[in-house]
Amino acid sequence: MYVWIWRHLPGNVVAKVFGSLLVFAGACALLFLVVFPWIEPRLPFNDVTVNTPHAHSSPASPSPR
Amino acid sequence: MTTTQVRTHRAPPGRGEALRTMARGVGQLLITLGVVILLFVGYELWFTGLYTQAQQHKLERQLETQWRGNGVDVSRLRVDHVPLGSGLAILRIPRFGKHWHMVIVEGTEFSDLQKGPGHYPGTALPGQVGNFAVAGHRTTYLHPFYNIDHLKPGTKIVLETKTMWFTYTVENLPNTPGYPHVPFQEIVDPTDVAVSYPVPDQPDMHAKPTLRLLTFTSCNPRYSAAQRIVLHAVLTQALAKGPGVVPPALAG
Repeated sequence: MYVWIWRHLPGNVVAKVFGSLLVFAGACALLFLVVFPWIEPRLPFNDVTVNTPHAHSSPASPSPR
Repeated sequence: MTTTQVRTHRAPPGRGEALRTMARGVGQLLITLGVVILLFVGYELWFTGLYTQAQQHKLERQLETQWRGNGVDVSRLRVDHVPLGSGLAILRIPRFGKHWHMVIVEGTEFSDLQKGPGHYPGTALPGQVGNFAVAGHRTTYLHPFYNIDHLKPGTKIVLETKTMWFTYTVENLPNTPGYPHVPFQEIVDPTDVAVSYPVPDQPDMHAKPTLRLLTFTSCNPRYSAAQRIVLHAVLTQALAKGPGVVPPALAG
Protein backbone atom coordinates (compact mmCIF):
# COMPACT_ATOMS: atom_id res chain seq x y z
CA MET A 1 0.00 0.00 0.00
CA TYR A 2 2.71 2.46 1.02
CA VAL A 3 4.84 1.35 -1.91
CA TRP A 4 1.92 2.01 -4.20
CA ILE A 5 1.40 5.51 -2.75
CA TRP A 6 5.13 6.26 -3.01
CA ARG A 7 5.17 5.23 -6.68
CA HIS A 8 2.19 7.38 -7.48
CA LEU A 9 3.43 10.52 -5.77
CA PRO A 10 4.76 12.95 -8.39
CA GLY A 11 8.20 14.49 -8.62
CA ASN A 12 11.62 13.63 -7.28
CA VAL A 13 12.42 12.25 -3.85
CA VAL A 14 12.06 15.63 -2.10
CA ALA A 15 8.67 16.20 -3.69
CA LYS A 16 7.62 12.68 -2.76
CA VAL A 17 8.60 13.20 0.89
CA PHE A 18 6.66 16.45 0.95
CA GLY A 19 3.71 14.79 -0.79
CA SER A 20 3.63 11.87 1.64
CA LEU A 21 3.63 14.29 4.59
CA LEU A 22 0.65 16.03 3.00
CA VAL A 23 -1.16 12.71 2.59
CA PHE A 24 -0.42 11.84 6.23
CA ALA A 25 -1.70 15.23 7.42
CA GLY A 26 -4.85 14.74 5.39
CA ALA A 27 -5.42 11.30 6.86
CA CYS A 28 -4.93 12.70 10.39
CA ALA A 29 -7.40 15.51 9.74
CA LEU A 30 -9.96 13.02 8.48
CA LEU A 31 -9.48 10.87 11.57
CA PHE A 32 -9.54 13.75 14.10
CA LEU A 33 -12.39 15.72 12.60
CA VAL A 34 -14.67 13.00 11.23
CA VAL A 35 -13.89 9.45 12.28
CA PHE A 36 -12.92 9.89 15.94
CA PRO A 37 -15.76 12.27 16.90
CA TRP A 38 -18.18 9.80 15.30
CA ILE A 39 -16.82 6.72 16.97
CA GLU A 40 -16.24 8.24 20.41
CA PRO A 41 -19.81 8.36 21.78
CA ARG A 42 -20.20 4.73 20.73
CA LEU A 43 -17.34 3.58 22.93
CA PRO A 44 -18.24 2.57 26.46
CA PHE A 45 -15.31 3.87 28.48
CA ASN A 46 -16.19 7.51 28.80
CA ASP A 47 -19.52 7.57 30.67
CA VAL A 48 -19.56 9.71 33.77
CA THR A 49 -23.26 9.93 34.61
CA VAL A 50 -25.47 7.72 36.69
CA ASN A 51 -28.37 6.44 34.63
CA THR A 52 -31.28 4.09 34.88
CA PRO A 53 -30.38 0.95 32.91
CA HIS A 54 -32.90 1.44 30.12
CA ALA A 55 -32.70 5.17 29.62
CA HIS A 56 -29.13 5.79 28.57
CA SER A 57 -28.02 9.36 29.18
CA SER A 58 -31.45 10.58 30.20
CA PRO A 59 -31.83 12.87 33.20
CA ALA A 60 -31.12 10.96 36.37
CA SER A 61 -34.03 12.12 38.42
CA PRO A 62 -37.18 14.14 37.96
CA SER A 63 -37.78 17.51 39.48
CA PRO A 64 -37.30 17.35 43.24
CA ARG A 65 -40.33 19.46 43.95
CA MET B 1 -2.95 -27.03 -11.75
CA THR B 2 0.60 -26.65 -12.93
CA THR B 3 2.59 -23.47 -13.05
CA THR B 4 2.80 -23.57 -16.81
CA GLN B 5 -0.97 -23.23 -17.08
CA VAL B 6 -0.97 -20.11 -14.94
CA ARG B 7 1.92 -18.63 -16.88
CA THR B 8 -0.15 -18.72 -20.06
CA HIS B 9 -2.21 -15.72 -18.99
CA ARG B 10 0.39 -13.26 -17.92
CA ALA B 11 3.74 -13.73 -16.32
CA PRO B 12 2.77 -13.58 -12.64
CA PRO B 13 5.20 -13.22 -9.79
CA GLY B 14 6.51 -16.45 -8.36
CA ARG B 15 4.75 -18.09 -5.45
CA GLY B 16 7.34 -16.82 -2.98
CA GLU B 17 6.95 -13.28 -4.16
CA ALA B 18 3.15 -13.43 -3.89
CA LEU B 19 3.46 -14.61 -0.31
CA ARG B 20 5.94 -11.85 0.41
CA THR B 21 3.61 -9.23 -1.04
CA MET B 22 0.77 -10.54 1.08
CA ALA B 23 2.86 -10.62 4.25
CA ARG B 24 4.02 -7.07 3.56
CA GLY B 25 0.41 -5.99 3.05
CA VAL B 26 -0.71 -7.53 6.32
CA GLY B 27 2.26 -6.04 8.14
CA GLN B 28 1.59 -2.56 6.79
CA LEU B 29 -2.08 -2.90 7.70
CA LEU B 30 -1.22 -3.81 11.28
CA ILE B 31 1.26 -0.94 11.57
CA THR B 32 -1.36 1.42 10.18
CA LEU B 33 -3.91 0.14 12.70
CA GLY B 34 -1.42 0.68 15.50
CA VAL B 35 -0.75 4.24 14.38
CA VAL B 36 -4.49 4.93 14.13
CA ILE B 37 -5.02 3.66 17.67
CA LEU B 38 -2.15 5.82 18.95
CA LEU B 39 -3.68 8.79 17.15
CA PHE B 40 -7.02 8.00 18.80
CA VAL B 41 -5.37 8.04 22.22
CA GLY B 42 -3.85 11.42 21.33
CA TYR B 43 -7.25 12.64 20.19
CA GLU B 44 -8.93 11.52 23.42
CA LEU B 45 -6.34 12.81 25.85
CA TRP B 46 -5.31 16.02 24.14
CA PHE B 47 -7.49 17.10 21.23
CA THR B 48 -10.79 16.78 23.16
CA GLY B 49 -9.36 19.19 25.74
CA LEU B 50 -8.85 21.84 23.06
CA TYR B 51 -12.54 21.63 22.20
CA THR B 52 -13.60 21.93 25.84
CA GLN B 53 -11.20 24.85 26.35
CA ALA B 54 -12.75 26.74 23.44
CA GLN B 55 -16.29 26.00 24.64
CA GLN B 56 -15.42 27.10 28.17
CA HIS B 57 -14.13 30.45 26.93
CA LYS B 58 -17.35 30.93 25.02
CA LEU B 59 -19.57 29.95 27.96
CA GLU B 60 -17.63 32.21 30.29
CA ARG B 61 -18.11 35.20 28.01
CA GLN B 62 -21.82 34.39 27.69
CA LEU B 63 -22.22 34.11 31.46
CA GLU B 64 -20.42 37.41 32.02
CA THR B 65 -22.71 39.16 29.54
CA GLN B 66 -25.74 37.51 31.08
CA TRP B 67 -24.69 38.46 34.61
CA ARG B 68 -24.13 42.10 33.62
CA GLY B 69 -27.63 42.25 32.17
CA ASN B 70 -30.83 42.20 34.19
CA GLY B 71 -31.54 38.47 33.95
CA VAL B 72 -32.73 36.51 36.96
CA ASP B 73 -30.12 34.78 39.08
CA VAL B 74 -30.01 31.05 38.51
CA SER B 75 -30.44 30.24 42.21
CA ARG B 76 -33.83 31.95 42.14
CA LEU B 77 -34.99 30.06 39.05
CA ARG B 78 -37.13 26.99 39.07
CA VAL B 79 -35.15 23.89 38.21
CA ASP B 80 -36.91 23.31 34.89
CA HIS B 81 -36.26 26.82 33.57
CA VAL B 82 -32.61 26.57 32.62
CA PRO B 83 -31.96 26.03 28.89
CA LEU B 84 -29.95 22.88 28.13
CA GLY B 85 -26.35 23.44 27.13
CA SER B 86 -26.13 26.92 28.60
CA GLY B 87 -23.76 28.03 31.34
CA LEU B 88 -25.13 27.82 34.87
CA ALA B 89 -22.48 28.77 37.39
CA ILE B 90 -18.72 28.95 37.74
CA LEU B 91 -17.16 26.14 39.72
CA ARG B 92 -13.98 26.72 41.70
CA ILE B 93 -12.11 24.09 43.70
CA PRO B 94 -9.06 25.71 45.34
CA ARG B 95 -7.65 22.22 46.00
CA PHE B 96 -7.28 21.87 42.21
CA GLY B 97 -5.34 25.12 41.95
CA LYS B 98 -5.76 28.79 42.78
CA HIS B 99 -6.99 29.70 39.32
CA TRP B 100 -8.77 26.45 38.50
CA HIS B 101 -12.33 27.15 37.44
CA MET B 102 -14.89 25.74 35.05
CA VAL B 103 -18.31 26.77 33.86
CA ILE B 104 -20.98 24.20 34.74
CA VAL B 105 -23.41 23.65 31.88
CA GLU B 106 -27.02 22.53 32.10
CA GLY B 107 -27.50 18.94 30.94
CA THR B 108 -25.60 15.66 31.06
CA GLU B 109 -25.90 14.55 27.44
CA PHE B 110 -22.65 13.67 25.68
CA SER B 111 -22.66 17.03 23.89
CA ASP B 112 -23.18 18.94 27.17
CA LEU B 113 -20.34 17.15 28.94
CA GLN B 114 -18.02 17.90 26.02
CA LYS B 115 -18.33 21.58 27.04
CA GLY B 116 -17.71 21.09 30.74
CA PRO B 117 -19.15 19.57 33.90
CA GLY B 118 -22.91 19.12 33.42
CA HIS B 119 -25.76 19.68 35.86
CA TYR B 120 -28.31 16.87 36.01
CA PRO B 121 -31.50 18.56 34.77
CA GLY B 122 -34.21 18.52 37.39
CA THR B 123 -31.91 18.38 40.38
CA ALA B 124 -31.62 21.43 42.64
CA LEU B 125 -29.83 24.59 41.47
CA PRO B 126 -26.87 26.17 43.30
CA GLY B 127 -27.72 27.04 46.89
CA GLN B 128 -31.17 25.51 46.82
CA VAL B 129 -32.54 22.92 49.23
CA GLY B 130 -32.05 19.51 47.61
CA ASN B 131 -29.13 18.12 45.70
CA PHE B 132 -27.20 20.09 43.06
CA ALA B 133 -25.89 17.10 41.09
CA VAL B 134 -23.13 17.48 38.50
CA ALA B 135 -21.41 14.96 36.22
CA GLY B 136 -17.95 15.61 34.83
CA HIS B 137 -15.25 13.86 32.83
CA ARG B 138 -12.41 12.29 34.78
CA THR B 139 -10.32 11.79 31.66
CA THR B 140 -10.61 13.52 28.25
CA TYR B 141 -12.42 16.82 27.59
CA LEU B 142 -10.14 18.77 29.93
CA HIS B 143 -10.87 16.12 32.60
CA PRO B 144 -12.39 18.48 35.21
CA PHE B 145 -12.73 15.68 37.78
CA TYR B 146 -9.38 13.97 37.11
CA ASN B 147 -8.39 14.25 40.78
CA ILE B 148 -11.87 13.93 42.29
CA ASP B 149 -10.50 11.17 44.52
CA HIS B 150 -8.14 13.74 46.12
CA LEU B 151 -11.08 15.70 47.54
CA LYS B 152 -11.41 14.75 51.21
CA PRO B 153 -13.66 15.94 54.06
CA GLY B 154 -13.08 19.64 54.62
CA THR B 155 -12.35 20.43 50.95
CA LYS B 156 -14.17 23.58 49.83
CA ILE B 157 -16.13 23.72 46.59
CA VAL B 158 -17.24 27.19 45.54
CA LEU B 159 -20.02 28.04 43.09
CA GLU B 160 -20.39 31.54 41.69
CA THR B 161 -23.75 32.61 40.33
CA LYS B 162 -24.92 36.03 39.18
CA THR B 163 -25.50 37.36 42.68
CA MET B 164 -24.09 34.75 45.07
CA TRP B 165 -21.04 32.83 46.23
CA PHE B 166 -22.00 29.39 47.52
CA THR B 167 -19.36 27.46 49.44
CA TYR B 168 -19.90 23.73 49.89
CA THR B 169 -17.75 21.57 52.14
CA VAL B 170 -17.00 17.92 51.38
CA GLU B 171 -18.16 15.82 54.33
CA ASN B 172 -20.17 12.79 55.35
CA LEU B 173 -23.75 13.99 55.39
CA PRO B 174 -24.69 15.15 58.90
CA ASN B 175 -27.16 12.98 60.80
CA THR B 176 -30.49 14.44 59.78
CA PRO B 177 -34.01 13.05 60.19
CA GLY B 178 -35.11 11.44 56.93
CA TYR B 179 -31.54 11.06 55.61
CA PRO B 180 -29.72 7.73 55.46
CA HIS B 181 -26.06 7.52 56.40
CA VAL B 182 -24.22 8.88 53.35
CA PRO B 183 -20.40 8.96 53.31
CA PHE B 184 -18.67 11.85 51.53
CA GLN B 185 -17.37 9.52 48.83
CA GLU B 186 -19.08 6.53 47.29
CA ILE B 187 -18.09 4.07 44.59
CA VAL B 188 -21.29 2.83 42.97
CA ASP B 189 -22.65 1.07 39.92
CA PRO B 190 -23.35 3.19 36.83
CA THR B 191 -27.06 2.54 37.35
CA ASP B 192 -27.19 3.81 40.93
CA VAL B 193 -29.17 6.99 40.21
CA ALA B 194 -30.17 7.39 43.87
CA VAL B 195 -26.88 9.22 44.57
CA SER B 196 -28.33 12.20 42.69
CA TYR B 197 -31.73 12.15 44.40
CA PRO B 198 -32.80 15.18 46.50
CA VAL B 199 -32.19 12.95 49.54
CA PRO B 200 -29.19 10.91 48.31
CA ASP B 201 -29.33 7.13 48.63
CA GLN B 202 -32.91 7.32 49.85
CA PRO B 203 -34.88 4.82 47.75
CA ASP B 204 -37.84 7.22 47.55
CA MET B 205 -36.86 9.86 45.02
CA HIS B 206 -39.70 12.11 46.17
CA ALA B 207 -38.53 12.24 49.79
CA LYS B 208 -38.58 15.84 50.97
CA PRO B 209 -35.06 17.23 51.30
CA THR B 210 -34.03 19.59 54.09
CA LEU B 211 -30.28 19.88 53.41
CA ARG B 212 -28.59 21.91 50.67
CA LEU B 213 -26.23 19.43 49.02
CA LEU B 214 -23.87 19.16 46.08
CA THR B 215 -23.03 15.86 44.42
CA PHE B 216 -20.40 15.12 41.78
CA THR B 217 -20.37 11.96 39.67
CA SER B 218 -17.52 10.81 37.46
CA CYS B 219 -16.14 7.57 36.11
CA ASN B 220 -14.08 5.16 38.19
CA PRO B 221 -11.42 3.95 37.97
CA ARG B 222 -9.73 6.51 35.72
CA TYR B 223 -9.86 5.54 32.03
CA SER B 224 -12.69 3.13 32.75
CA ALA B 225 -16.44 3.39 33.09
CA ALA B 226 -17.00 0.25 35.10
CA GLN B 227 -18.11 2.23 38.16
CA ARG B 228 -18.98 5.75 39.23
CA ILE B 229 -17.15 7.74 41.86
CA VAL B 230 -19.53 9.99 43.78
CA LEU B 231 -18.63 12.95 46.00
CA HIS B 232 -21.06 14.70 48.35
CA ALA B 233 -20.71 18.15 49.91
CA VAL B 234 -22.92 20.29 52.16
CA LEU B 235 -23.59 24.02 51.75
CA THR B 236 -21.69 25.76 54.52
CA GLN B 237 -21.76 29.39 53.40
CA ALA B 238 -23.81 31.63 51.15
CA LEU B 239 -22.44 35.12 50.50
CA ALA B 240 -24.06 37.88 48.48
CA LYS B 241 -21.64 39.12 45.82
CA GLY B 242 -20.43 42.65 46.12
CA PRO B 243 -17.32 44.78 45.71
CA GLY B 244 -14.52 43.25 47.75
CA VAL B 245 -16.58 40.23 48.79
CA VAL B 246 -14.57 37.05 48.36
CA PRO B 247 -15.52 33.75 50.00
CA PRO B 248 -12.91 32.74 52.60
CA ALA B 249 -12.29 29.51 50.70
CA LEU B 250 -10.90 31.55 47.78
CA ALA B 251 -9.04 34.18 49.82
CA GLY B 252 -5.27 33.98 50.15
